[in-house]
Amino acid sequence: MSGLLIQGLINGLILGAIYGLIGVGLNVVFGVLRVVNFAHGEFLVLGAYFAYFLMEQAGVNPVAALPLAFLVFFAAGYALYYVLIPRLSRSDDPELSSLLLMFGVSIMLGALMLLVFDADARTLPFSIEPVFLKFGPVLIPSVRLLALAIALATIGALAWFLYRTQVGKALRAIIMNRDAVRIVGINAERLSAVAFGLGIGLAGVTGVLVALVFPSFSPFMGNDYTLIGFIVIVLGGLGHPVGALVGALLFGVTEQVSVVFFNPSIATILGFALMVGMIFARPTGLFGQRVLR
Amino acid sequence: MLRVTNLKKRFGGLTALQGVDLHVPRRAILGIIGMNGSGKTTLLNCINGLYVPDEGRIELDGQPIGGLPTHEIARRGVGRTFQVPRVFAHLSLLDNLDVAQQQTPRSAEERQSQSEYWLHKVELYRLRHNHAEELSGGQQKLLELARIMVARPKVILLDEPFAGVNPSLAQLLISIIREVPTEHDCSVVLVSHDLTSIYQLSHHIIVMNEGAILCEGDADVVRNDERVVEAYLGA
Repeated sequence: MSGLLIQGLINGLILGAIYGLIGVGLNVVFGVLRVVNFAHGEFLVLGAYFAYFLMEQAGVNPVAALPLAFLVFFAAGYALYYVLIPRLSRSDDPELSSLLLMFGVSIMLGALMLLVFDADARTLPFSIEPVFLKFGPVLIPSVRLLALAIALATIGALAWFLYRTQVGKALRAIIMNRDAVRIVGINAERLSAVAFGLGIGLAGVTGVLVALVFPSFSPFMGNDYTLIGFIVIVLGGLGHPVGALVGALLFGVTEQVSVVFFNPSIATILGFALMVGMIFARPTGLFGQRVLR
Repeated sequence: MLRVTNLKKRFGGLTALQGVDLHVPRRAILGIIGMNGSGKTTLLNCINGLYVPDEGRIELDGQPIGGLPTHEIARRGVGRTFQVPRVFAHLSLLDNLDVAQQQTPRSAEERQSQSEYWLHKVELYRLRHNHAEELSGGQQKLLELARIMVARPKVILLDEPFAGVNPSLAQLLISIIREVPTEHDCSVVLVSHDLTSIYQLSHHIIVMNEGAILCEGDADVVRNDERVVEAYLGA
């Protein structure tokens, strides 16, 4: 039993780190723009297809595809910001409108992927030797450990960017007060486009990791990942990358350890009960901050 | 330096500014007083681009700035503080000032040095690593002043800088504002209900009433104007 428990814990940590990356991407977009990006999961699945086709067509190793995915998805997100988001400010309720808009984008992207890639689930034909690493009674797929290391390194790099660079500090500042950012001479629109690009770029990177870690992916999986992202934000708190990681680890570990003891349905219930409990006990999440706007 | 001509702003049926003219010369302090709702803050919001004026012209050093985006006006040298300070609550004091220098070509060392200079000036240096939310309201006003000054603006617009500030911090604010024109080559537009401070600091004073200028002049002229006594002081 203890071996299974450790296995569950480690799986929870690995999935938690990937969930954390999903949450961080959503967190940046929601924190800066107050845009509920319902299409985050679809962008993530697109990232998985990006890695798949790079490997299939050009033989590019998925690990090498990661920076490429970030750059391509960042550029796409940056451009898409100007197409989609500025018009929302003309709405009476921009946050609600953003939710509906991105829900529409999510459906469109899902349908587009279905059209282009078909409904068949795909598997990334990638493995590293040895396929499994054995730690006592625990057996861990090497590729999952690699994904864990990449996810943690990406979150670390993002934290460095947000806390140590001027653009990162400005991104955090705009979450706190949009007008104050403008009065110190910062172009809030451009900064918002950077935030949107960053969120989509992270979705692309996460998609590559998802393709590495999970057995398959398909055009129908976007909503599931978006939902996980929102759970992570609720648990960790808005505007805090470390909070997103901690929230995600909590969710991942709860889910995976529960699977060891209970029926998978109960594990799902427990994961969501954690979210509901957090909303009741601490609506701002573990690391949440009051937002001044 | 800053010139406003025939500035008008309406909100639906309400006329908030009805043709305001003012001129702030280089290194001068212009005081603006008036009852609540007289249009003082609306005037500042139009100058720094938070509101787009309906009519009129705003010039900085002879160049029109009226209607430009707020960040562009700030880059051209107009700083602004608010009655309720809008600091970056969860950033350290140093980071608050660092963000405000993003548009300058300074190196990280130069930015750090400017930030430390101004934190010393507003007597918050010892709290430089604390989050801004940990400061008192008065200290936040000092931080907000430091945050606009690190960018070396040409004109600063101060909205009720002394409101809710304890007397010792108010004295510090007064001494800093007084030296801003001479030591930092910067003009000041000072909106306040604190008549004593306005009289002490301002080279020229404008009294606003119902979106228009009721009277203007130096402290003696304003103090003795019957319309001001009647409209503003209620006597």
